[in-house]
Amino acid sequence: MSFALEWARLWVVSFGRFLQFVGRVVGSIYSGKVLGFFGEALRQAGILILGSSLIVFGLVFVLGLQCGIEGAYAARTVGAPYVSGAITALCDLREITPYAFGYMMAAKVGTGMVAELGSMRISDEVDALDAMGINSLIYLCGTRLLGMWMIIPFVYIGAIAVGFIGSYIAVVLQIGEVSAGGYFEIFWSFQDPVDLLYSTIKGMAMATLVVIVGCYYGYHASGGPVGVGTATAKSMVANILGVHAIGMLGTQIFWGGNPRSPIGG
Amino acid sequence: MQPVAQRAASATFEFAETVGSMGLLTARTMASAVTPPYPYGREFLAQFLFAVRLCWFPMIIASVAFTYGPAGVQAAGFLNLFGALDRLGGLFVLTVVREFAPLVTAIVIAGVAGTAITADLGARKIREELDALQVLGVDPVKNLVVPRFLALMLVTALFNIYALIFGTFGGVLVTLQYDAPLGPFWATYFDNATVTELWASLIKTTVFGGIIAIVCCYKGMTAKGGPEGVGRAVNEAVVMAFMGIGAFNYVFTQALLATTPELTVVR
Repeated sequence: MSFALEWARLWVVSFGRFLQFVGRVVGSIYSGKVLGFFGEALRQAGILILGSSLIVFGLVFVLGLQCGIEGAYAARTVGAPYVSGAITALCDLREITPYAFGYMMAAKVGTGMVAELGSMRISDEVDALDAMGINSLIYLCGTRLLGMWMIIPFVYIGAIAVGFIGSYIAVVLQIGEVSAGGYFEIFWSFQDPVDLLYSTIKGMAMATLVVIVGCYYGYHASGGPVGVGTATAKSMVANILGVHAIGMLGTQIFWGGNPRSPIGG
Repeated sequence: MQPVAQRAASATFEFAETVGSMGLLTARTMASAVTPPYPYGREFLAQFLFAVRLCWFPMIIASVAFTYGPAGVQAAGFLNLFGALDRLGGLFVLTVVREFAPLVTAIVIAGVAGTAITADLGARKIREELDALQVLGVDPVKNLVVPRFLALMLVTALFNIYALIFGTFGGVLVTLQYDAPLGPFWATYFDNATVTELWASLIKTTVFGGIIAIVCCYKGMTAKGGPEGVGRAVNEAVVMAFMGIGAFNYVFTQALLATTPELTVVR
């Protein structure tokens, strides 16, 4: 019993520390202090685009193909291959792209940040920054969050396009039971810009979580190179829990009460 | 700055080399698992319990969330427009058993247990414990990789069952949310469930477990020194594991659906 209480107390304490960290990083952006390092934020944005976006697109593309074949076979099951577009539209735009995006952001960007910031921390580079009078929290974490916010909407919309292309390849070119025109007619009528907005909000929330978790675990790493590895592994657990929670809540809030499909009244 | 073509060529070469080495490690692991002696029983049990202890909670959250959202809310909203909410059960067999439960299991095992294995082996590598083992005449593949390989294959297949149960629970939640009776849900669920589907799901997750174990062990055992070494190894391992899972998932599902047409009959 006392063990469980102790465990719960530790959990609450570390969660509180995490929230405090989030408050300080977001506060540094909100108060405009991070603009002193705007060049660094641009550099981080550039690293994100050049280093990570292709890998993220890769997973989104594979899962888009997956949506396509599942949709094509499910539509054939009910004897209407023509409507595979309805399934892929819902699957790609609303669910699979945000999840695939969140997973790959966590794997590539999140753990990469933990490894990078953690190695800076254990080789005392972070303390050196502080000693030079540079606020290391703003310089390292605030700039990464700002850089990510500047470009992620565009990367995310690019990812959606990649997922759409994957589904198109699977349904029209590979399975080939519906013509391109017939596919697109159903496909576009089962989505509208509001769905795209909702989906982007989900993707943004996941990316924000991933970057903040990555910064938190990296900034607070300790215990030498081994500690950095452990912190990297731990950050992935937090990311997986968070990405799924955001995905579930987002779906419930945006589409739970209103399916937003062009059927009936 | 090297020319782009040269950089792309060297990146491609590096990638091919990594994949080839992983193939070799897979072959060595399998050969070493079936040739006597078998000293890895204790380590196998330890790794199995380690993975179960780490993964059970993320697993539950992830499988409920993943099936409640895509397969539950979206599909139920769509079906409800036709007044055919009872068909949700059949759809759950199609999506959850075939697709989402294996995928979400693999993602959680790779993200939670796989990263922990890479961090562990990477730490041993840079502390030169692996070299010390080899000097002592202990084969790292037989004593470290084989138990992890077998344990992860077993754990992934086992957790797939849990993902199925909790995933179906997500569907039950959605049905209750629409104030619909559960009887029709279960009726269409069991009408559409086939043994082939379950076997395919288990085989798929077993292979996922093998992929995750090989990728994560390889990256851990080849971790480089320096402050960033282990963290970078974990990063590369999880990226490669996710891509491997996605690619194998696509090939397997396509092959399964194309070769067993009885799965695509609605009942």
